[in-house]
Amino acid sequence: MSENSTATTSRGVPVEDPTPFGWLTTTDHKRIGRLFIVSSMLFLVVGIFLDLLVRLDLTSATDFVSLGRDGFAQGFTFSREALTLLFLIPAFLGVAIYMVPLQIGAPNLAFPRAATASFWAWKVSAVVLIGAYIGNGGPYGGWANGVDLHLLALSGLVISLLLGSIAVATTVMTMRSPGLYLDTTPPFAWSALVSASMLVVSLPVLLGQIGILYIDHRYGRVFLAGNYGIWERIDWIHRTPQLFIYVVPILGVTAEIVLATAKRRVFEPLAMYFTLGLVGLFGFGAWANFSVTGEGADIIDGLEGVVLVGLYGGALLGTAGLLGLLGLALIQNRKMPKVSTSLLAALGAGTLILFGALYGLIGAATDWLEIAGRGNDGNPQLRMTTWVTGQQSVLIYGAGLLGLLAAIHWWAPKIWGRQLNDLLGILNFVVIGVGALLAFLGPALSGLFTEQPDFVYGDPNATAIYASWVDDTGAETFSAIGVAGVVILLGGVGLLLLNLLISVGMKKGIEADEDPWAAQSPEWMLPSPPPIGEPDQLPTLVSGTPLLDAAEAEEAAV
Amino acid sequence: MTDTTPTLASGDPQRPRAQLVATGFACAACSMMMAGALGLYMARRHASGPHPGHDWLNGLAVPNPQLVYALLTLVASMVTAHWALWASRRRDSAHAWTAIATTLVLGLGFINMVMYSLNRMGLEIGAGEYQNLAFATTGLALAIVVVGLFYLGLMGLRSLGGSVGQQGSTALGAAVFFWDFAVLAWAVTWYTVYVVK
Repeated sequence: MSENSTATTSRGVPVEDPTPFGWLTTTDHKRIGRLFIVSSMLFLVVGIFLDLLVRLDLTSATDFVSLGRDGFAQGFTFSREALTLLFLIPAFLGVAIYMVPLQIGAPNLAFPRAATASFWAWKVSAVVLIGAYIGNGGPYGGWANGVDLHLLALSGLVISLLLGSIAVATTVMTMRSPGLYLDTTPPFAWSALVSASMLVVSLPVLLGQIGILYIDHRYGRVFLAGNYGIWERIDWIHRTPQLFIYVVPILGVTAEIVLATAKRRVFEPLAMYFTLGLVGLFGFGAWANFSVTGEGADIIDGLEGVVLVGLYGGALLGTAGLLGLLGLALIQNRKMPKVSTSLLAALGAGTLILFGALYGLIGAATDWLEIAGRGNDGNPQLRMTTWVTGQQSVLIYGAGLLGLLAAIHWWAPKIWGRQLNDLLGILNFVVIGVGALLAFLGPALSGLFTEQPDFVYGDPNATAIYASWVDDTGAETFSAIGVAGVVILLGGVGLLLLNLLISVGMKKGIEADEDPWAAQSPEWMLPSPPPIGEPDQLPTLVSGTPLLDAAEAEEAAV
Repeated sequence: MTDTTPTLASGDPQRPRAQLVATGFACAACSMMMAGALGLYMARRHASGPHPGHDWLNGLAVPNPQLVYALLTLVASMVTAHWALWASRRRDSAHAWTAIATTLVLGLGFINMVMYSLNRMGLEIGAGEYQNLAFATTGLALAIVVVGLFYLGLMGLRSLGGSVGQQGSTALGAAVFFWDFAVLAWAVTWYTVYVVK
């Protein structure tokens, strides 16, 4: 990471310590954001690797080929927790912590110390979580105290992410430049507000559940079957529709990049804010089925089916509406937009979210209407098969990784002061795209045609040893396709890290000026990267597109 | 908005409502935490067997008078908390200090009464499903009350320690808002776990 120059301050704000020790005690949103982004990428590698081992186990219907009988269930649960709580949420929280104050003309976050506490508490909790798993203490683990430790680490992760989310949401709500109203904020800042607010009202449900699970597991295990009841009640945070809340910032990134590339404002700004809000809103409520009723593995029917179909439909409507508005902006431009890694990845991520919502809608409707006998005569519903893993692959690997690729390429000049290598970036886009496609196709086809179980809560080993469930010949091949996808994805993440190392670490990337993309939102008025510490001067904003306003005013004057 | 020019002008941080808004978010988070816990409590209660007839409480008798007094104590502390806020807005630090101290004493008294009631009830952790669920939900609600007490004490010290001004009143207002929420959270928990059972 390149170091920013230190800003002096005239308002008595403590000047940031530029030494490495300063990273520990920093209250600068730019440093905290960078810490979140880089750390979450490292945890991503761990999560993908575990997912690879889990999928390897699924390539044999009769034997455990990688994690073994004792390790399979914990590998499965850890990979899901790592991909959501250690990667997807914190990565985009980090981007929001870095970019939001710059986009709204604020000197810092509303509660910078809370954001610092959020990062370090998250980091420590993540390490404790990994330690619990290493000691055989995750759900389905054999070390009872380790299972308790896992629950405590999970609470730590949730509390720290909530703290960061509250800091971001409060910043957007209260620290906008005078004259910049909510309906004129840049789309990413708005999406960060939507996602953070929805996290604040959904993740605490998990906290309440963990409180009860912890007490029950530690004292008597009265209603939990050993520790087998834990995963069934917390699995909702890794599934749709909850996943839609996590991907809202990705839609914000997409909107930001597409509009800047098209050099246009969105056709109807309020519609854009509404559609982003819609996606977040329809991610709410996933907890009700799993955590409260504990019926995550049961057949959905009746009202449950209607609600699920409605949630997916709403998310689909929101995403389609947003992409439609962005498409209109591109058409209005009447010029072929300059193809770049960030634009390709942003469009790819947005499209995959749309596909993820459509895929979920099809799955929920099939289950609800019992199409092709799903849920009847012992046939598992699609939501109990690896069809679900396919959807997770689309949203976490596809949209999540492509969204991160887009955000990092787009804002690298603002974060590190240098542009990343675009050729390597386009290669990276292709690799991640292909990897995500295969990682999705394998489990999706397996779930559809072979009914391979996603995860059997009561007997996790039955997930891997599934010969008694299905005709396994096809499932093994489909699982192998998924494995190939995850291997390619690992390569994609490696490419991204390599690009960062070459362009930023080794300083081979082009040094960026204030606005290398000729973009339009307020952060591009500041130096690249902005000096650490709170600035003496801030842009006074009355619009989320001040640079576009200025360019148009100049054009009109000529 | 073509009149906007991208010139940098001196900007002063404007964050008058930040603490109040953040407290609102914290209240929303805590209410969802309680919703999750009480939702699970009710689901387990529903699944435990037919009512009446099934001894969900495992022979325990809820000490209703004591718990009602505890709730009334908490409601009284809401009044004193608002008294503190009222006084601080009028820059009357003597009254504000008295009111905050009274609120803290009432809050501590409430915790003491709840602990006494649970002891009297014989609520033993690990002894049964109701015991574990009641212990966990009560513990979460009490945790919110304890956080509220700390918050109120801290904001009281911060806002009244120096001068009693508008900024201090806003901070204290946020703490009082959270305290009101904590009382509500306890009331809902009490009604669910000890009245409806």
